[in-house]
Amino acid sequence: MKLLYIAWRNVFRHTRRTLITAAAISVGLSAMIFMNTMMNGADKMASRNIIDFETGHLEVFAMGYYREEGAFPLDTIIQDPEPVIGEIERVSGIKAIAPRVKFQASISNGIDELPVLGMGIDIQKDKKVFEIVNSVIEGAYLQHEGDVLIGSDLAGDMDLDVGSFLTIITKDRNGTYNAYDLTVSGIINTGHPLFDGNMAIISIEQAQELLAIGHGVTELCIRAHDENKLAGLKRNLASKVGKDYEVLSWKELNAAIFEVSGFKRTAQFMIALVVIIIAAVGIINTMLMAVMERIPEIGTLKAMGFNNSGIVRMFIYEGGIIGIFGSLLGCLFGFLVSLYLVYVGLDFTGIFGNMDIVYPMKFLIKGEIDYWTILYVFLFGIFVSVFVTLWPVRKATKLQPVDALRHV
Amino acid sequence: MVETIDLHKNYKIGKVLYPALRGVNMKIEDGEFTAIAGPSGSGKTTLLNIIGCLDVPTKGDVLINGTNTSQLTSKEKSSLRRNEIGFVFQTFNLIPVLTAYENVEIPLILLDTEPDRKRETIKSILEEVGLGEFINRRPNEMSGGQQQRVAIARALVKNPSIVLADEPTANLDSTTAKEILGLMQELNKKHKTTFIFSTHDQLVMDFSRRTISLRDGKVVEDKTKKRGPG
Repeated sequence: MKLLYIAWRNVFRHTRRTLITAAAISVGLSAMIFMNTMMNGADKMASRNIIDFETGHLEVFAMGYYREEGAFPLDTIIQDPEPVIGEIERVSGIKAIAPRVKFQASISNGIDELPVLGMGIDIQKDKKVFEIVNSVIEGAYLQHEGDVLIGSDLAGDMDLDVGSFLTIITKDRNGTYNAYDLTVSGIINTGHPLFDGNMAIISIEQAQELLAIGHGVTELCIRAHDENKLAGLKRNLASKVGKDYEVLSWKELNAAIFEVSGFKRTAQFMIALVVIIIAAVGIINTMLMAVMERIPEIGTLKAMGFNNSGIVRMFIYEGGIIGIFGSLLGCLFGFLVSLYLVYVGLDFTGIFGNMDIVYPMKFLIKGEIDYWTILYVFLFGIFVSVFVTLWPVRKATKLQPVDALRHV
Repeated sequence: MVETIDLHKNYKIGKVLYPALRGVNMKIEDGEFTAIAGPSGSGKTTLLNIIGCLDVPTKGDVLINGTNTSQLTSKEKSSLRRNEIGFVFQTFNLIPVLTAYENVEIPLILLDTEPDRKRETIKSILEEVGLGEFINRRPNEMSGGQQQRVAIARALVKNPSIVLADEPTANLDSTTAKEILGLMQELNKKHKTTFIFSTHDQLVMDFSRRTISLRDGKVVEDKTKKRGPG
């Protein structure tokens, strides 16, 4: 206890140096927390965008469709979805099912023509799986055949407003060009670049007619009650729908994006490592100075009968106190900056806005705080400060007391 | 009792071997007030350091109360210093962040002294050295003489059998030096603690009953006054 008291006194005998070291630790740690909050937020936003607009939790395809998805093969679609939907509905844990038809198309406003992803949705059922209905910023959600929803960016690019006419052109199942005139019923802003910039959403019946696929759909999108139990649900579904169909989770459907995410994590780790090294060098420097100038004092303590472990313990306490102090500051500061990220966010539009990036989110990143990370970072700060103290102090205790006393 | 047997110590400075002690034999009985005198470089501080287990001899033995210190491990030496030996240094060597009271407390903490007894012992020893009113002062708030009194109190508080004082008056003016020596003499009489000084100060030698003179690492004279203050 007394050792701790002496250590406490020693820490505050050079207030300025202690503050500088604590500041070095806290800057490093708050940078780590900030990075983590931002990356978590980005991942969460991307995941939400995928689940809420693109895939739902799980998707069912006709076997072979997904492998060829880029080519939109209209021959390997789910020709008769009703019996399959019936089977799926009998699996417990399913909240809602929405059929969709995706196809390649282009839209024209009479002057310009742009390639888009066409998507036919079931006007009622889609609302129960996806959030498109809640992202309409102008006009209204799809009401009937002949309506089209487009994203805010596309509307800007094509100079379209609510009530504007556009023509959608695509090739049907037989390879014949087909076109419909549509009215823009609403403009959506989802935060998902694909939906906001490259998508034309129409009713599923109209899409089926346009593509001449009868009642066929390209996929059945499923929302689960509990998104943490998807693995089990996927297995149950797969056995229910049989070999002619395949079930894929939203993560599997976006593996490429999560590889990007993995890369980000590595980058984040590297940045954290650099920050740590810088902070650790600062701490080592301070602790080294603190130990070196006190070697005669170590000699005195030895003369009084302190053994090496007592002296090492005292310095560990000192490192620990500085560590706790710096870590507290760092975590507090990191937390405050994270709060800013959560409630205000960081807008990267100016930097990345014009880049065509596959990551399914826009560049206003809102943070997501992980309290465990803050705890780990806190403990890590203390560990580093204690660890870097050990080396100089162990070296100092190896001296004969007389050499320590004489040390200048 | 402190006894040295054929004590040698060589220092290596660069490639040159420098002998600091060349076969010192002496015996100091319990309760003695002894000065080890000699010019600078005669080996007196080295001798004191080896007796106090702060340094190791190149050859020879030191017996403290019958224990041969060269056979002790570093832990056992720590324990011996903790229990049996008090040090007073020329430069006082107080812990700067601690008050007089707290500096004197350290040896008792190491001995796990019970709190009430600890408090009483510290107060009484600080009063004995004349610092009853300075217990809450830090070293930098005290004069050299006061700091040395704290150091003496710290050396004596655990009631050691031996106090080793390396040039205890070298950093003090002669009036303060006399006071400190008088104090140590008084404590020697009262507690029957063995005091061994290293010094080249005639004043210290005048105060001590026995003076062992060293020159070039050897005992050249061992003089005991028949009657004297010590």
